[in-house]
Formats: sequence, C-alpha cells, structure tokens
Amino acid sequence: MKLSYIWITAIIMGLSFSVNAQDELSPERKQAVDSLAIEKVRDLSKYISIIGSKETPWSEANRVIDRAEELFMEGSEIGVSSITKTEISYYNIRKYFERLMRLNYKKVEIEWYNIEYMSDLQKQPDGTYVGVITIFQKFKGYDAEGRLVYQDTTKKDITVYVKRKETQIGGRLIGFWDVLLGDMRVKETSK
Amino acid sequence: MKLLIKNAAKITLFLLAAIIISGGATSCKSKKKLAREKAAAEYELKVDQSKKDLTAMLNGTTTWTLDEQDTRLNAIKSYNIDDPEVVDLIAKVESKLSMDRAEEVRQAEEERLRLEEEERIKAAASKYQGVDNQLGAIAQAYNVDAANKQIDITLKEFATPDVPVLIIISKAGGYNDYDRPTTISKFLNYLKDKQLYNYKVEMVKRDGLGKITELELIKK
Repeated sequence: MKLSYIWITAIIMGLSFSVNAQDELSPERKQAVDSLAIEKVRDLSKYISIIGSKETPWSEANRVIDRAEELFMEGSEIGVSSITKTEISYYNIRKYFERLMRLNYKKVEIEWYNIEYMSDLQKQPDGTYVGVITIFQKFKGYDAEGRLVYQDTTKKDITVYVKRKETQIGGRLIGFWDVLLGDMRVKETSK
Repeated sequence: MKLLIKNAAKITLFLLAAIIISGGATSCKSKKKLAREKAAAEYELKVDQSKKDLTAMLNGTTTWTLDEQDTRLNAIKSYNIDDPEVVDLIAKVESKLSMDRAEEVRQAEEERLRLEEEERIKAAASKYQGVDNQLGAIAQAYNVDAANKQIDITLKEFATPDVPVLIIISKAGGYNDYDRPTTISKFLNYLKDKQLYNYKVEMVKRDGLGKITELELIKK
C-alpha cells in the first residue's frame, strides 16, 4: 500500500516537473522567444508602413488594421507626437491606425529602425514575461507636388508581454508563446 | 709387473670414465640453470612489456584499435603474471576498455540517429518542396494583385481557409515551442504583407481528398 503511494507521488512529481520544465526557459529557448517578440514589433512596423502608405488600397489597409490590432493587448494605447507641439496625444489602437490611414498628405513614408530590447524579458510572478523594446520611427509626409512638407524622428518604447498558453489543434495539445504588445510610449521627438 | 701394468690400464680407464661421467653431469646441471635463468629473463621481459602496454592502454597513448587492445589484453592475461602491479593494471584496463566500448557503441548510435535524421529531413524537404514553393511565391509576388492571385491558387490546396497553421520557433531541449497558431488565410496574407518567406514546411496533414487540413512550419 505504502509502495503504491510512493509510486503515485513520484508520477505526480514527474508530471509536474515536465509541465514546469516547459515553462522554464533554457537560454536557447529564451533566445527564440526574445526573437519572436522582436519579430512581432517588426510585423507592426511593416503594418504601419502599409496602413500609412497612400498607395495601399482601402480594403487592404482595413485588413491590415485588423491584423495589426491583433498584435496588441486590449486597452493598449499608442502615443503620437509632433515637432510643432509639445504635448503627446495617446490613442487607442484602432483609432491610431484609422487616423494613420487618413493622414492629410499625398504620400507618406514611415520607417522603423534600431529595433532592440531596452529591457530584457523578465519573468513576473504570474508567469508572464515582460520587456520593453525601443524603436526609432522616421516619418516623412509629402504634398501633391512631391515636396517633403513634414518629417520627424521619434523614439518610442513598446512594452511586450509574453505568456505561455495551450490550445487543442487536431486532437493535439499545443503549447505556444503568445506575444502581445502593450502601450507604445513616445520618449523623444526630433526633426 | 705385468699385473701392475694391466691394472694401471684398468684404473686409468676407470678414472677416465669417472671424469667423463662427472663432467657430463656438471654440464647437464649448468644447462638446466641456464634454461632457468633464460626463462626468468623472458618472464621479466614479459612483465615489463605487459606493464608498458597496459599503461599505454590505460593512458590512451596507444594507436591500437579497441579490438587490438582487447587481443593484447587477453594475451597478457594468458601469461598468468602474478605481479601485483600487472594484476592491478589488468583490472583497470579491463574497466577502461569496457567504458571505451560503451562509448564507441553510443557514438555509433548517435551517428546512426544523425544520419537517419538527415535522411528524414532530406525526404521531408523534397516531400513538401511544392508547398514551400507556393508559399514562397506569395512572398515574392511583385505586387498586391499578383500576391492575391497566388493566394487564391494556394488556398485551393487547403480544405478550408481556416486550416490551422502552426509555426515552430524553437526545437531546443526536446520541446517544440510554437508561435500563436493562425489560419492559412491569415498566414498567406501575412506572407504577402511581409514579402518574406523564412520558413520551411515541417509537416502537412491531408484529408481523403488530398486537401491540406493542418500545416506545420519551422522558422528558419
């Protein structure tokens, strides 16, 4: 009887170790998760340039807005600054993209560069990994004559949340890393 | 006088015989001694050589193969040397050779699995090359319209636009780490937006009609 209790305890301990082992990240797996989060920010960068581009058909821009919105946690905000104003305005995600799509320029170029971690992903008590990624955004707006009428460079910090989740697919239990972006805060704006 | 001469001859003959006999016996004794000394020297030589060979095998400084080392060890054991140092060395070499043999088996198994995995990857690569090419064509389309046409063609290969797409981001430590699962429709549009296909098809599930019902990719 005692022996069977020992076996049951050992099996339970083994199973819980296996589950924990999947949540505990080795440096190699952590690197893959770090890269995944950076990749999501690069995806956002691409989406912003597609949405902002005046050459993008309206239906395509709306489809991309839906995809871009999926990258964010609900309730997140994006900061918008200008070299002509001192205050920074914060918009909810959908509103920010719709506003970006309707900017009053004939042509818009948005480029993100120097995308890197400002603070590495750190595990929180609830198991979520949280980090901050910094990006530099170069914005250029042109008028109908093709003249550059506005440009600025903004440094922005994006909070990144990564959590391990599970889902059933084709009868299999799949453990995946859900990367969601949080608020995008303006840190500096220059010409 | 005659008798004396006759006896003297007999005595001389007797003495001569005695000398010859005693001389022969001495010579026989000396030969045995020599043989013993020779055997002792040969034994010493065997002990020395055995110590040298066993030490070399123990330190791994010999160029012999494991089979050759086994043969040499068995030869040394057959000498039945009772020198304590040799006995100790034999035990140590036996243990080392047994470990080396296990390591050789492990390495051979590792190599076999590596080759098997290589073959599997090669077979899978050619098996799914068509799907990879179709996905790559969307990313490389020269404009949105061309990409959309390619998406329509590709979607016909799938059972529904909602077929799940799993993306492996890491296979480290024996775990498959995935990105958030998506659908084929969303993924094909993602390739169009990103204009980059940096994945490889890892697994494809098909239904009875040959349509894809699940797609698993690995990030390159």
